[in-house]
Amino acid sequence: MRRDMRLRALSGYGFISPALIFYVFFFGFPVIFSFAASFRRWNMLVPLFDARFLGWDNFEFLLQNEMFLRSLLNTSLYAVITVCASLAISLFLAVLINSARFPVLWRFLFFTPVVTPSVAIGTIWNYLYRPNNGLLNQILGWFGIRPVYWLTDGNVVLFSVMLVAIWAGIGGSMLIFTAALKNIPNDYYDAAKIDGAGIFRRFFSITIPLIQPTLLFLMATGMIGAWQVFDLPFIMGRNAPAMSIMTVSWYIYETAFGSMRMGRASAGAFLLFIIIFVITLLILRAFRKGGYEGFAEKET
Amino acid sequence: MKVLRKKRRKYPVSRVIVTIAKYSILCIGAFCMILPFFWLFSASLMTSQELIADPPRWIPESPQWKNYMEIPRRIPILRYYGNSLLIAGLGTFGVLFTGSLAGFAFAKIPFPGRKILFRFVLSTMMFPVFIFLIPVFYLMKNLGWLDNHLSLIIPFAVSGYGIFLIRQFVMTIPDALMDSARIDGAGLWKIYLRIILPMIKPALATLGTLTFIGQWNSFLWPMIVTSNAQHLMTLPVGVSRLTLAFSTTETQHLVMAALVYQVIPMVIVFLYLQKNYVKGFVMSGFGGI
Amino acid sequence: MKKAFLVALVLMMVLSVISLGSTKLVWAVHWSDFQVDGIFDEEENLTVKGVQQYVDQYMKENPTVEIEIQPVPFDDYLKRILISHTAGQYSDIYNLYSLWAVQLVDSYILDAPPPALIETVRKDFVPVSVQGSTIEGKIWGVPMEISNYALIYNKKLFAEAGYQHPPKTWDELIDMAVDLTKRNEDGTIHQYGFAFLSGWDSAVVHPYLSMLYSLEGRLFTDDFSRSLLDSPEALLALEKQLELFKRGGTDTAGSVWAFPTGRVAMMIMAPWYESSLKLGFRDDYEETVGVAPFPYLTTPANCGYTWFIGVDRNSRHKEEAWKFIQWMTIELTEEGTTRMGELMARNIGSIPTHHADLDEFPDELNDLYTSVFVQELENTISEPNVAQGQEIKVVLMREIIEAWHGRKTPQQALSAAKREIDQILREFY
Repeated sequence: MRRDMRLRALSGYGFISPALIFYVFFFGFPVIFSFAASFRRWNMLVPLFDARFLGWDNFEFLLQNEMFLRSLLNTSLYAVITVCASLAISLFLAVLINSARFPVLWRFLFFTPVVTPSVAIGTIWNYLYRPNNGLLNQILGWFGIRPVYWLTDGNVVLFSVMLVAIWAGIGGSMLIFTAALKNIPNDYYDAAKIDGAGIFRRFFSITIPLIQPTLLFLMATGMIGAWQVFDLPFIMGRNAPAMSIMTVSWYIYETAFGSMRMGRASAGAFLLFIIIFVITLLILRAFRKGGYEGFAEKET
Repeated sequence: MKVLRKKRRKYPVSRVIVTIAKYSILCIGAFCMILPFFWLFSASLMTSQELIADPPRWIPESPQWKNYMEIPRRIPILRYYGNSLLIAGLGTFGVLFTGSLAGFAFAKIPFPGRKILFRFVLSTMMFPVFIFLIPVFYLMKNLGWLDNHLSLIIPFAVSGYGIFLIRQFVMTIPDALMDSARIDGAGLWKIYLRIILPMIKPALATLGTLTFIGQWNSFLWPMIVTSNAQHLMTLPVGVSRLTLAFSTTETQHLVMAALVYQVIPMVIVFLYLQKNYVKGFVMSGFGGI
Repeated sequence: MKKAFLVALVLMMVLSVISLGSTKLVWAVHWSDFQVDGIFDEEENLTVKGVQQYVDQYMKENPTVEIEIQPVPFDDYLKRILISHTAGQYSDIYNLYSLWAVQLVDSYILDAPPPALIETVRKDFVPVSVQGSTIEGKIWGVPMEISNYALIYNKKLFAEAGYQHPPKTWDELIDMAVDLTKRNEDGTIHQYGFAFLSGWDSAVVHPYLSMLYSLEGRLFTDDFSRSLLDSPEALLALEKQLELFKRGGTDTAGSVWAFPTGRVAMMIMAPWYESSLKLGFRDDYEETVGVAPFPYLTTPANCGYTWFIGVDRNSRHKEEAWKFIQWMTIELTEEGTTRMGELMARNIGSIPTHHADLDEFPDELNDLYTSVFVQELENTISEPNVAQGQEIKVVLMREIIEAWHGRKTPQQALSAAKREIDQILREFY
């Protein structure tokens, strides 16, 4: 038995060795390097170790800076709402498409935002969001609601960008849900139908439990991705007051390449990491508590 | 498959309503989704003036097919295609390969330290990508890879996202399958190759699609690397050469056409990989679940 | 065998001598497409030269020099310089926006030009562009391009409202803007009397600076020890902008990009917008577009910014680089212009900075659009070359936008900006 276990240990490491080697160089070194940078005032034009040492100053600055803190707030709102809405809608759609005819066609249509370049997405949504006769304001007009300044009003702009993000994110999650749904044998559903279970019962008692691992995956990676969002707010939110729309990644990026403060930007990136780490931990714990032991993380 | 029914459970009318509702939702949803995609193709056939029009035009007056002809005259698009295909292709293969290996191991091989290492892999995804930009560039320079395709492929050949995804999928495969294979004398590698891989085809297809798209569209890193090594330039960076800094509208129609060039391979890859979305496995004759 | 070996050896020695004698220069440019490759007509004949053609010509005249052009997208230009430098990757020649250059100078990245070159620059180039290329009292390159700001107005909309002349002062502008603004029933504006530009720092800050300068105010003390955002001029400039909002001459959703569609009556713009206007108005361009000096508050003034061409100190061929730059930007061709001037005026459509160029390109520079900008160069004051220029401008931009949205009073906005900016200045001066 001992030899069997040793063999398994070796095989295990063997299987993950390409990834591990990669991580040493392309993860370990950058993280250490950036961590070192976060303690200095570095404009990238002088060697890192000639840059002035600042101790914790960068971190202190960020934690007291109104714009950084505000961007944390914006990003957290964005992450929670976008991920939850996007997951719910894409699961619904995945189930729907699975039971419809021409699934490949529908899948493709719903997937197109993922392959559409952001320039096209930005242009169309800019048009939809126009205060003066944009489509959304026209629809509001039918209900007698006053026009909204979607992209320039500080109170609304974050929501407007979230809407586009949810819209754009549906395709990818839907694809993953579809793959997960394919893994559920039809027999389960057939057996349930024989026992008289209706659509909702089948959904909540069979589908949801069996896609637990996928749900966990999508929620965790969704959160991780959403907390790092940069493109969409940057493209669409440039004409709104920055306080209302800036996200943490945007702040970091601007601090690095606009203000040429790579040290402070690295510090910000580490703070962001800590936040993401804590949140992901919470998500993992929540899923474990869910009780679906058979399909969630197994303890060795 | 006919199933014995004890009684008629549904009136045909409600079934019809459900069907109508289902397809209307799909149609409306799909229409919303495809609007920008459709506009992209339409815009690529317009003149630069039509693109400025206000209110914006949806259909060109007369399709400017010559926009597509114009692109190869201005930028070496074949070379960009070649580079992009090579890089995205190999990069995707790398992610699928390392991801499936590691994902399988984390899911099914109980080796010491598995839990910690998996948490470590997860944590690599939590660092903002930004942290890696400069150090990896520094690495590439010192390894001498900067004028080489390697600098565009290797940094993206392993993905925690991929490992995580595969692991979740492999976890849904019953251990019983593996056990019976082991009883038959199969080693881990055979199990991986013959049992696991075929069963996670949908996951591989999905991961492949998403990875390919991400790498195909990637701009920031290739821009930084290829500005010093123009023979390596990829498609998105090449397309940016059509954008004029301060008068974007002048070449907008060409940029749109170039973007169509960029979009088409992704559509092809997506459709090609769709054939893998078959049921993961058939539970015929398998008792005990 | 031996003979072949000897021949190979000799060949290698010859080749290495040649390569030792040959120089490779790398020039990073922020231009793209036809600006670099040249403009060709239907029959593939060259009609207007691009950067590549000039470089080819130089290489022909100087066979031991090889010049590689690296086009980098403008938005990524600075980023790429920074990231490349961290790994010791350099280009030899750069196109530099003067504000970027301050940090480069402070970190000893730029090479000091040869003294003779500096003398020539002072003599032959337009003063405001020389001012723009001066950082902490020294000149760090040869000016390439100068941009300033003027009023662009829609003559047709003016005529409809009965206006014959563009406004001369800012107060006139406000009155006319209010009159020219038309709203829908739901309160949204479908025709803007005036539109501001937002979206990046220069877009907001440069017009503000123009107003400040026209009040004879300044942004910083001469030694950059503190900002002057608490001065009455700074406050008045912002208040005058806000008057436009308050009286309904514009709102925060207005955008200058709508001008080519005829929905904006007036805007403040720079020379580089010309081609978009021509594209938007097509045949109506001449009748519709009007250009006038920046409507001043107290004295005529406007803000300007400069691009200059410089050399990296880490370059291994600095002398050759400066020689090329001299050939490109200072040496006069038979037509009496500089090659860079020709590129600017004929291809890129910007304003060159050499005196000879400004005299010799009447067709390009005296057209409907650019002529006013050129004429107003005499009132142009260069934006200050302050350290952390972009960071400071972003701070100012954000506060101005807060004021535009009515989320802060002008006092609050400017004092918040002053606080942050002074803190930055204390770090560097």
